[in-house]
Amino acid sequence: MTATTAAQRYVGVDIQESEQNRAVVEAIEETNPDCTVQHLPGLVRIKCLGRIVITRDSVEEKLGRDWETHEFQMAIVSYFGHIKDWDDDEIVIAWDH
Amino acid sequence: MTIAPKAPRAPKKLSMKQRYQVLTRDLDWEPSYVDPKEVFPHTDFEGIIIHDWAKWEDPFRLTVDAYCKYQAEKDKRLYAVLDGFAQGQGHLTLTDAAYLNSMKLFLQGVTPLEYQAHRNFAYLARHLNGPGPRFASLCQSIDELRHTQTEIHTLSNYNKYYSGFHNYQQMHDRVWYLSVPKSFFDDALSAGPFEFLIAIGFSFEYLLTNLLFVPFMSGASFNGDLPTMTFGFSAQSDESRHMTLGLEAIKFLLEQDEANVPIVQAWIDKWFWRGYRVTALIAQMLDYMLPRKVMSWKEAFELYFEEQMLKGLFADLAFYGIKPPRHVDDAIAEKEILSHQVYWTLYQFSHAAAFTTSVPTEDHMKWLSETYPETFDKHYKAMWDKEQENIANGGRHFVRGLPQLCQVCQVPMLFTEPGDPTTICQRESEFKGEKFQTCSNGCQWIFEREPEKYVQAWLPVHQIYQGNCGGPTVPDVLEWYGIQDGDNGEHLGSVDDRNWQDWHAGSAPEGD
Amino acid sequence: MAVKSIGTYDFPSKSRQELYGDDQLVHVWFQGNPWFCAAACYRAPKAMLWSDFWSQMVVPWAEEDPDFDPAGAYAWTLHGKPLTPKDDVTLEDLGVEHKDVIGMRAVTA
Repeated sequence: MTATTAAQRYVGVDIQESEQNRAVVEAIEETNPDCTVQHLPGLVRIKCLGRIVITRDSVEEKLGRDWETHEFQMAIVSYFGHIKDWDDDEIVIAWDH
Repeated sequence: MTIAPKAPRAPKKLSMKQRYQVLTRDLDWEPSYVDPKEVFPHTDFEGIIIHDWAKWEDPFRLTVDAYCKYQAEKDKRLYAVLDGFAQGQGHLTLTDAAYLNSMKLFLQGVTPLEYQAHRNFAYLARHLNGPGPRFASLCQSIDELRHTQTEIHTLSNYNKYYSGFHNYQQMHDRVWYLSVPKSFFDDALSAGPFEFLIAIGFSFEYLLTNLLFVPFMSGASFNGDLPTMTFGFSAQSDESRHMTLGLEAIKFLLEQDEANVPIVQAWIDKWFWRGYRVTALIAQMLDYMLPRKVMSWKEAFELYFEEQMLKGLFADLAFYGIKPPRHVDDAIAEKEILSHQVYWTLYQFSHAAAFTTSVPTEDHMKWLSETYPETFDKHYKAMWDKEQENIANGGRHFVRGLPQLCQVCQVPMLFTEPGDPTTICQRESEFKGEKFQTCSNGCQWIFEREPEKYVQAWLPVHQIYQGNCGGPTVPDVLEWYGIQDGDNGEHLGSVDDRNWQDWHAGSAPEGD
Repeated sequence: MAVKSIGTYDFPSKSRQELYGDDQLVHVWFQGNPWFCAAACYRAPKAMLWSDFWSQMVVPWAEEDPDFDPAGAYAWTLHGKPLTPKDDVTLEDLGVEHKDVIGMRAVTA
């Protein structure tokens, strides 16, 4: 197996398809312009090389109401990568090594 | 789109990081009144060395209030869907009654494992030294109890109309094919806390989780099973926390001390293979039990394991000196034959199972030929053709006897030599003068590593022969299993099938 | 390697021969016949004659295969070596031990 750096490997998150989560998906797309978005039955798969960042501000902007990052739990179905950070303002998914 | 400028947010008293610290970690204390080893007597014997429990990271930073709030919300949304489906006679919109054989297998095989996981994570919530992993384990324990309950509720509606759902707990404890998942979890439950963390937290809930759950949930979605699909989404959001716990568990152990690396590697080697053998039931479900196919086992294995795990996760773990699981090449080599071998087995033994089976239809055979161009026509179609002729002559292939079982995975010894799909793989080991057979290099390696454990396996076939399963005849055993007439055998003409035809008899004729 | 445990870990095998009295478990592996997904497992007396084992245990299982010929020629193996079963010899005297796998393969002319 060839050694690849963390930045060269895909990370991703699967989001449950729903009215509320539409805003979450849009926010992620905006914050991570190089990501690919794939629609599968009932869920939206977002893939990025290296890292995905979800920010509270961007989601609130799209959603039109207050949103705390804990609420992301209602949206997430699955992910691949490592949750590097999760605080009041943002969630970061990346590989460690 | 914002219309007016946003009002500034009221500052929180504590940030999420601080809140989490204060409400979980800071509630811990170092006992001065007793030796810490007496408080935590189970975390030394496995040889794992921990220097600093505080290094355990929990990125979700959940506290009990946030946990309860969001879990309650998930439940509310799920039960609303279950109610709607039941009220609307939704079961009539399934693709076919035969679809439910996959969910019978789920309720009998998987739901009781959720309960066992609940118990073992509760044990970890007490017996791990660090408050971080203790709290994460507590949340997971409650999650798993929630999964047990929601799965039962989700599937209880089908129990009103279809066979095979009525006695899952007793069946799980007694029935031959269910000893495969049961023994898998019992093996983990009877291991130490760190092995359990790697076996279930990591290998099951991270490495193999998508291979287990996505097929069931996508299968549900494709076959009109709205409740199961909704349950799946509802549970998967919990699973993202479980995956995180599993990944953190392995990284924590690897980073705490170099001496842990070979121990963890050996556990990965063991638990990948044990878990992979359990997924044999998923493989046949994907390729045979679902009337409307989602993807093939081959495709699922390539995506969820080879690509996401081997190329993604293990590239990450290489940093610690961790290698991909031993025997993984044998698993990869089987991907085009596994489902066929397993369904052929379940087909010829379903007279003794709590689900029904049937010969694949013309269209189904075409799909199998196209999806498995290297193997289906060459090795498996001939048997289905022979069985169709057998049926035309008034027969139906049900084995009049009991099969040889693998001592470790407890699956009938149906697997073949790596590279030769025409020869059953037979491995034999000796321990204290007694012979033990296993189905593969992987299971043999597992046996020989801990023979003292596996000689205690409660093998269904052997137990029947010892007279421990109700009686000498098949009907006696089925009664002891809790299997009723209608649960088992051939699907066409079964209770479920006849009901399905009746219920749909008055519907409008289908278009071409 | 052995089990890592708290305290002694020494438990008897759940399928040791003594649990079957004068009987033992015997497997018959019908090689080259994909009709049967796996070898069969029987409980048979150690003192059972081969002819009885054949007619009372093997044939009833094998004849469920429409192509099975009970009068056909079969090559037998035990412990990796050819076995020549004789009708009036017991399983034990043929060398069959608890949980052994007897190989059975149709001889094609």
